[in-house]
Amino acid sequence: MREITLSQAVNEALAEEMRRDETVFIIGEDVAEAGTPFKVLSGLVEEFGTQRVVDTPIAEPGFMGLAVGAAMTGTRPVVDLMFGDFIYLIMDQLCNQAAKTHYMSGGKLSVPLVLRTNLGATRRSAAQHSQSLHALVAHIPGLKVALPSSAYEAKGLMKTAIRDDNPVVIFEDKLMYNDKAPVPEEEFLIPFGEANVKREGTDITLIGTSSMVQVCEKAAEILAAEGISAEVIDPRTIVPLDEATLLASARKTSRVIVVDEGHQSYGVTGEIASRINEKAFYHLDAPVLRMGAMDVPVPFSPALEDITVPTPEGVAAQARKLVAREMIHAA
Amino acid sequence: MPLEVIMPALGMAQDTGLIVSWHKSQGEAVAEGDVLFEVETDKATMEVEAQGAGFLTDVRAEAGAEVPVGNVIAVIADSAEAAGAGGSDAASGGSDAGTAPAASDDASGSDAADDTALPEGAQVIMPALGMAQDTGQIVAWHKAPGDAVAAGDVLFEVETDKATMDVEAGHDGFVAALLAEAGEDAPVGEPIAIISASKPAAPISRSRKAGAAPAKAAPPAAGGAEAETKPAPSAPAKAGAAKAGAPQPAASKAGAAQSATPGAQSAAPAEGTRILASPKARRLALEQGLDLARLVRAGHPQPYHAADVEVLKALPPEDTAPGAAAASRHLTARLPEEGFSAFADWAAREMGLGDATQLLAGLAGASLDRGAVTVAVESFGATRAVAVPGQALGQITEAEGDAAPDLILRDLRFSAVQTVTLGAEAAPVLTLTREGAGLAVTLECGSAQLSASEAVTLLSNFAGRLELPLRHLL
Amino acid sequence: MAQTKHNTEDYLRMYRQMVRIRTFEDNANQLYLSAKMPGLTHMYSGEEAVAVGICEALTTSDKITSTHRGHGHCVAKGAAFREMFCELLGKEEGYCRGKGGSMHIADQSNGNLGANAIVGGSMGIATGSAFTAKMLGTKDVTVCFFGDGATAQGLWYEVMNMAALWKLPVIYACENNGYSEYTKTEEIAAGSITARAEAFGIEAHQVDGQDVLAVNNLTRDLVARARKGEGPFFLELMTYRYHGHHVGDINREYYRSKSEEQDWKDNRDPIIRFRAWLVDQGIASEAEIEAMNGEIKADAKSAVEYALNAKYPDVSEVDMHVYVGVDHALA
Repeated sequence: MREITLSQAVNEALAEEMRRDETVFIIGEDVAEAGTPFKVLSGLVEEFGTQRVVDTPIAEPGFMGLAVGAAMTGTRPVVDLMFGDFIYLIMDQLCNQAAKTHYMSGGKLSVPLVLRTNLGATRRSAAQHSQSLHALVAHIPGLKVALPSSAYEAKGLMKTAIRDDNPVVIFEDKLMYNDKAPVPEEEFLIPFGEANVKREGTDITLIGTSSMVQVCEKAAEILAAEGISAEVIDPRTIVPLDEATLLASARKTSRVIVVDEGHQSYGVTGEIASRINEKAFYHLDAPVLRMGAMDVPVPFSPALEDITVPTPEGVAAQARKLVAREMIHAA
Repeated sequence: MPLEVIMPALGMAQDTGLIVSWHKSQGEAVAEGDVLFEVETDKATMEVEAQGAGFLTDVRAEAGAEVPVGNVIAVIADSAEAAGAGGSDAASGGSDAGTAPAASDDASGSDAADDTALPEGAQVIMPALGMAQDTGQIVAWHKAPGDAVAAGDVLFEVETDKATMDVEAGHDGFVAALLAEAGEDAPVGEPIAIISASKPAAPISRSRKAGAAPAKAAPPAAGGAEAETKPAPSAPAKAGAAKAGAPQPAASKAGAAQSATPGAQSAAPAEGTRILASPKARRLALEQGLDLARLVRAGHPQPYHAADVEVLKALPPEDTAPGAAAASRHLTARLPEEGFSAFADWAAREMGLGDATQLLAGLAGASLDRGAVTVAVESFGATRAVAVPGQALGQITEAEGDAAPDLILRDLRFSAVQTVTLGAEAAPVLTLTREGAGLAVTLECGSAQLSASEAVTLLSNFAGRLELPLRHLL
Repeated sequence: MAQTKHNTEDYLRMYRQMVRIRTFEDNANQLYLSAKMPGLTHMYSGEEAVAVGICEALTTSDKITSTHRGHGHCVAKGAAFREMFCELLGKEEGYCRGKGGSMHIADQSNGNLGANAIVGGSMGIATGSAFTAKMLGTKDVTVCFFGDGATAQGLWYEVMNMAALWKLPVIYACENNGYSEYTKTEEIAAGSITARAEAFGIEAHQVDGQDVLAVNNLTRDLVARARKGEGPFFLELMTYRYHGHHVGDINREYYRSKSEEQDWKDNRDPIIRFRAWLVDQGIASEAEIEAMNGEIKADAKSAVEYALNAKYPDVSEVDMHVYVGVDHALA
């Protein structure tokens, strides 16, 4: 199969959906001729024109609010939010308006909108351009949240998101735009709420999101060399969450580590760990561990930044302890 | 149509209004929009306009009266003389004039359960004084139970996040009940006092803790997450195990508790200290009838994981136990007695099943959940072998030949014996004894006969059937 | 009164709609005062000429966005009493199935995109609705209702900028009732409000919001021009709310005198003024008007009665309408 970058995969998904459905349009800062700072959208304005690839002023609440209204009245906007950190600026429009409109109208109005943004540290961008804030929006009923872990997922999830009648937030890892993966030429969609078992194993389950899937896969390699069989699962969407696949794996291996790049406290790792604890408790042979980003603003200095996010070695070390039945937190 | 004039809710947190003055008098013609009366609330004095045209009749509250919000205070009738006709209609609407509708509506859900114990009268609720206030603390009561009160009298002082306020009684009458003590917090909307029209014979004074807690039904789980069901079915009785130990005269249904689960647990940990083990290791041990305490005694280091259960299985037999039938399981359930005796009476009368011993054997045999079984019933020194084909109580017969029983039922209800620890027999033994006004059922068996979870299930099932025999029929 | 080119039917419908709003609010107020209505509500009484003058210039498919003080807009855009009272009381037959209540009431089928409880929260939605009209060529015009208080929100300036850049068919209608919640507008608004729109090159008008014909004539003209692509426009409608900020705001002399309120009610009431004009012009007799008033009252009374007896939504509705395409979000 051919291999393309995550950036190309997103570009292809958007182009295909815009050809298929003329109500789809892209709106955001520097999305047209500039094709975004990451060049993900390059070439789209040439094909679809500035009416459907719309450059906006630097006014995130404004264009987000505009997109909500556009979605409510018959179009399918794909909002480009240049950095995930800017999500704080659009919280009212996303969480008070887009997320609640369908419910507050008793099901009469809907907001088929995609918010495309990114996450991920270690780009030396400091605390306001490096955050992974998907847990923030996953907390809000009415929003769906997708976290592609490779070019393949980035394309399949984007196409599904555009066709979904609900507001969907997609976080791409900005360090993965140039990573290649096999992506079929022919059309495909990845349904929401279906986790992907990336690697089967029997001793421990590593659940990873976004780029942490790769971290878990590398950790599994390290562990395999030591005779520990790790299962790696990518939930792909955290809302909706494929609980059944996660629980089945937990019941099978009895040990689970959840790895995510959001801050560890009150985050995705805690939520998933808690569900496993509630629903697979009698199958657990060890506490479910959370491994998130350190609870500090992301620092600039490489010496500091690199230690704030989970690494394959770190995940493998924790896995080793669980499998060796060491006391992780003594009572 | 006569139009009721209602004391309006003007403030955000207002229970009553004081009528400062009437601008119209009885029988006077009013036009819609005319000022009818002036009312004073905690915040301001307001003029209240007529909502329709007609004649003011049936004025029920004079200037100076403090009237609960929502009460009818007059009627605008079609004619000045219509007081009688309009009054009767209005009277039905105003028959609940003693209670503020908002208050009583709110309260009805929360205190319905213990209303029976409370005197009749108008409820005084904890008012909402601030915009974001959930509870108020009662600083002091200004009236004692039995005191006469006027609507405008200060009944209590309440402290919210913002301020301390005097709250008036809102009703004329007598303090029939104070349902919270000074110093306690009460949720907004909860009744905290009752004012009765006549002097109460036995006024009540109690703390919230005493009264309110059982009245509130447990809310449905908000999260909606269905926790995994435990592998060992727990006793179906409601919580309230505290009463199980001490004999209670005429224990109520809800109060009667089965102690099957606690009993089983107390038998398990040997040395009294908590064993550190993973949930999975505990489940495996339970399922296989293994005792983790043996690992402790064998010096195996904690915490225990699934792998340690394999070690446990491989341990040599621990002591002098004479064979597999060692009495390693002993558990007891307690329950009220009426359920079975009423059922036996009914079965004899309605179904023609007059043999109570067979009924008992049938309930016990079915609790084993193994299809057709033989139950040996020992009572009054004699033993009967009863063949229980399954669930159907009508098909129970005396067992033929001398088949070994699957279950022994020792009926000591009419004996002076209170507790038993007799050890295992060739089959699991259920012993029925009388305890206070209720019954106790003790199960004794060897670990090879029933696993711990099977033992718990058998006892829970049998105790459940004895308490509510109709469950068996379902 | 402004000069007009209407026919009799139009005049009578405008009068009728204003009385319907006043009657609706009188009944809503009674429901609150008699403790029959959950929550609280913000009364539109006094501002009727604004909603009616504007909505009578719109087609059914033209869109509006409304505010927390939204009953008037809802009635004016064509809603029925019965579903409105049901919504106010949280009943299943309400426009939003009881999930919105007073602050989110809207008859969606008549182009009402919802009342919004975030002050200024719908400015993006209205602009986006106009964006859809332009992108899909529907010719619909969107009117964004908001109060003077909302002019302090930054979102408005962001979306006005985009609306002006892209010539969107949207009319920003500022109902200046003189008070931003409990504060005089002059204490919260620096400079001129119309000048703010003009700074973006948007044509701005100030109009007597108590004169329904003046409002209607101006709006008809602006709507027609917006349909031709000459938008956006800004309207400042000088009006007055008879009640406090909400129904429980009774002790308000610290910010507004009773004599000022009485003056507006006695001398500038939009219904009294228009009624006098109708009689004066021979369009309707006093008796005809009284009959119309009586009919509306009876209509409201039976709708209130109906709503009080209507059933609440089944508890199973609690997790419905969280997501499009998911019957029960928590199932």
